[in-house]
Amino acid sequence: MSEPIIVKTVEELKTAPAEYREAVAKLVISHAINELYGAQVFDEPAIAYAPTPYAKWLTCRVAMEEYGHHVRFKQLGVQMGIPEERMMPGTGKRPLSIFEFPLKTWEEFVAIKLLADLAEILQVEDLLHCTFHPLRNLARATMPEERFHAQFGEDFTAELIKTPDGKARLQAAVNEYFPYLPSFFGGSKSKNNEIFRKWHIKQRTNDEMRQDFMKRATEVTTKYGLSLPEARQAA
Amino acid sequence: MSDVAALPRTLIEQVKAEVRTAAWFAALGEPLTDGDRADAGAYVKALGLDTLTLGLAHDWPEAERALKAPDWSTVWWDREEAERRCLLAKAETRYPERALWTALTELTTETGDIVHGKAGVAAARMGGAAKASIHVAAGAAAQAAYQLALARLARDAASPFESKFRLFAAGRWPLGVAGSTLVLF
Repeated sequence: MSEPIIVKTVEELKTAPAEYREAVAKLVISHAINELYGAQVFDEPAIAYAPTPYAKWLTCRVAMEEYGHHVRFKQLGVQMGIPEERMMPGTGKRPLSIFEFPLKTWEEFVAIKLLADLAEILQVEDLLHCTFHPLRNLARATMPEERFHAQFGEDFTAELIKTPDGKARLQAAVNEYFPYLPSFFGGSKSKNNEIFRKWHIKQRTNDEMRQDFMKRATEVTTKYGLSLPEARQAA
Repeated sequence: MSDVAALPRTLIEQVKAEVRTAAWFAALGEPLTDGDRADAGAYVKALGLDTLTLGLAHDWPEAERALKAPDWSTVWWDREEAERRCLLAKAETRYPERALWTALTELTTETGDIVHGKAGVAAARMGGAAKASIHVAAGAAAQAAYQLALARLARDAASPFESKFRLFAAGRWPLGVAGSTLVLF
């Protein structure tokens, strides 16, 4: 394989090969939409379920950061010439299946932060060495906040498991949501992923990321005495 | 961006200017002034909770205890939420939903970056804050800016969110209601 190209600016992107430009655009659109779905479907509704003002405002901050991620990916997309409509939900791109299950309890939100945000971290990690530097930089700016969101999940998990009832409710939430998460990483024979790796936009195969996620998810749930149910087949 | 132009952008810009010039978290733990008391009184009166007494948290650990108090008032939070929903409904009748949503999201994103830094400075200066409490403070402050924007867009000058924002702008943090006390930090 030839040396990967490096694209340092949005301006330089205009002269990059069409396949490269389309691949970067797909990723930006996907992140913009998923960040917004996450904020709308999980983070904002969770404020009402949070048990104290401390937890409510912490959840407010998390929701704002997730909305902020959408705003930043959208801003990058606009600079790249992507129409805003393509970066909003309900405009063509099918949402991930996990977004089809509206939040019902605080425990569900904690489970989502613990595990879905771990999946999000892996996705962002894979962009930290992206050859399109504006996207790489955005991933680096986003990463500390994503890590904080996963830590939020761990902190409230530690709170909930202090009582048998809390632990049981959290385990039930893990059982409900976890099966949908491995498909978050895409199909094993994804053509998109092949192109992303060809251009060093992303680094790992979907299966490598999925395996890493399973390992980390097992570690974090075991740490708190929780278990993972069987996952569904990858998309 | 034509929808956004339909919004009164001067109102949004005015809120952004107030966010940028506010003394976020600069007076935490300091003795209450007459101005603080007047704004706190206006806030609880506008929420229909004017029988409350006023309390003061002196440091971050005391503030954290107040924020996690078992007897915190869901009535206070629910009144704010009812007010927010009412203002949002009014605003949605006046302006295109997408433009309104976009403007508010951009406002809270910009505000969040500012107030997070200010909360971090205040926590470092005073010491004793849990790391997550900086995020909590930023969430509360950015929410106050969002609520103020809604009040302005709905043209409700008597909204409790005006006096609540004034408390934040004066360097305070209204922590909420525990028992029969509104606790300021």
